Amino acid sequence: MSKQEKRKAALIFAVIALVFMVGAILTGGGSGEEETIQEVMRDAVLHDINKVSLLGMEVNPGLLAGVIVSGIMIVFALICRIFFIPKFTMVPGKFQLVLETAVGLFDNMAKGNSKINGFLGAYIFAAGSYIFTGTLFELFGVQAVTTNGVSISLPAPLSDINGAIMMGCLSYLVIMSGGIAGNGVRGIGKTLKEYSLPISLSFRLFGALLSGALVTELVYYYSSLSYVLPVLVGVLFTLLHALIQAYVLTMLTSLFYGQVSDNTPKPPKEKRHRKNKKTITSTETAEPAEAAAA
Amino acid sequence: MTGIPLNIDLQQIMLHLFNFTILFGALYILLYKPVKDFMAKRTDYYADMDKRAEDALREAQTSKEAYDEKVKNFDEEARTERANMNKEVSEQRERQLAQAKEEAEKIVSDARTEANREKDEIIASAQKEITEMVTGAMEKLTLEQSASDAFDQFLDAAEAQ
Repeated sequence: MSKQEKRKAALIFAVIALVFMVGAILTGGGSGEEETIQEVMRDAVLHDINKVSLLGMEVNPGLLAGVIVSGIMIVFALICRIFFIPKFTMVPGKFQLVLETAVGLFDNMAKGNSKINGFLGAYIFAAGSYIFTGTLFELFGVQAVTTNGVSISLPAPLSDINGAIMMGCLSYLVIMSGGIAGNGVRGIGKTLKEYSLPISLSFRLFGALLSGALVTELVYYYSSLSYVLPVLVGVLFTLLHALIQAYVLTMLTSLFYGQVSDNTPKPPKEKRHRKNKKTITSTETAEPAEAAAA
Repeated sequence: MTGIPLNIDLQQIMLHLFNFTILFGALYILLYKPVKDFMAKRTDYYADMDKRAEDALREAQTSKEAYDEKVKNFDEEARTERANMNKEVSEQRERQLAQAKEEAEKIVSDARTEANREKDEIIASAQKEITEMVTGAMEKLTLEQSASDAFDQFLDAAEAQ
């Protein structure tokens, strides 16, 4: 490409970008500002205003998002199963490598943390994939109509408190199942010792994803912030916390699972010897030493 | 709105749980298990290949050791064989020499005996011939003498008559 052609292409790109910006400014001030930012944020946390209809039930948008994410993932898995997995080769291609790396990552994480890891690997694979895909889902801004007739973009499924509680409690139950598999009834006791775990797992996930959602809402609410900044906030941050949250939950689950399912007997504790307060003189210590030497 | 803070709804938690359970089952059956099975198959395949290679290597090592041993033994054997052969050749040579010597001696001795015998024979034959010649001459002489004697005797007899 010559220098003149390059200049021409850059000019066309700049004109197109300018047209989009003008279009955005001219069409702004519509539906986005029907709610105040306080209302938007409150609703993002509590989901008490905007509800969507799912099979005749009024549910939070997060649940609808969860169903859509699950549907997409199942269709993807089905396509992989039918078209790609039968064509797997001993020397993997690019797509095969991606699938194998994803499965191998969670499988190795399970194997590295617990001896009993058959179910754990499958669980953290599903949970990690769900968290990652669900978090990325909010990037696409899939639209849904609320029962009030307002159009909203669907959030990440786990930014809904109910979804986060489900994931936290289910992870706790999986950890407990590991305890039972490894230690029987004692495993339940070991798991119950970590009674704060379901709450911490749930609210960590909820807090992380909600904060992402809130920042994104905040940025997109004001049109003046909608240029350049969303590239960082919307895409980069979402990608980052999708990865981080998926890793954190799966890592914590497998760590606690390994901890409660561990059935290796503890080494016997050494009895503490009381220190003799009486000071031993050098002559007293010399006697047993001499006896031992003899 | 329920009395539970943060709008927590048990029904929606259950719906989330149901949704995730289906997702878990589908992902396990459609993706996780087949990929893991394939990975296990490949691990087995390469482990098997590795094992076969190790076996072949071990076999080659054993063969090499056996070969080395054989070569080592062969050298030793060849040395012993050569020594034995040399010894045998040397013995045989000695034996043949002795035999040749013996034969030569025998030939010489036979030749000498034969020569002596022939010499004796020749001498005897010469003696015989000489004797015969002398006897003949003597007989001739004697005969000539006796004829004249007989004639003389006849004449004497005739004269006497």
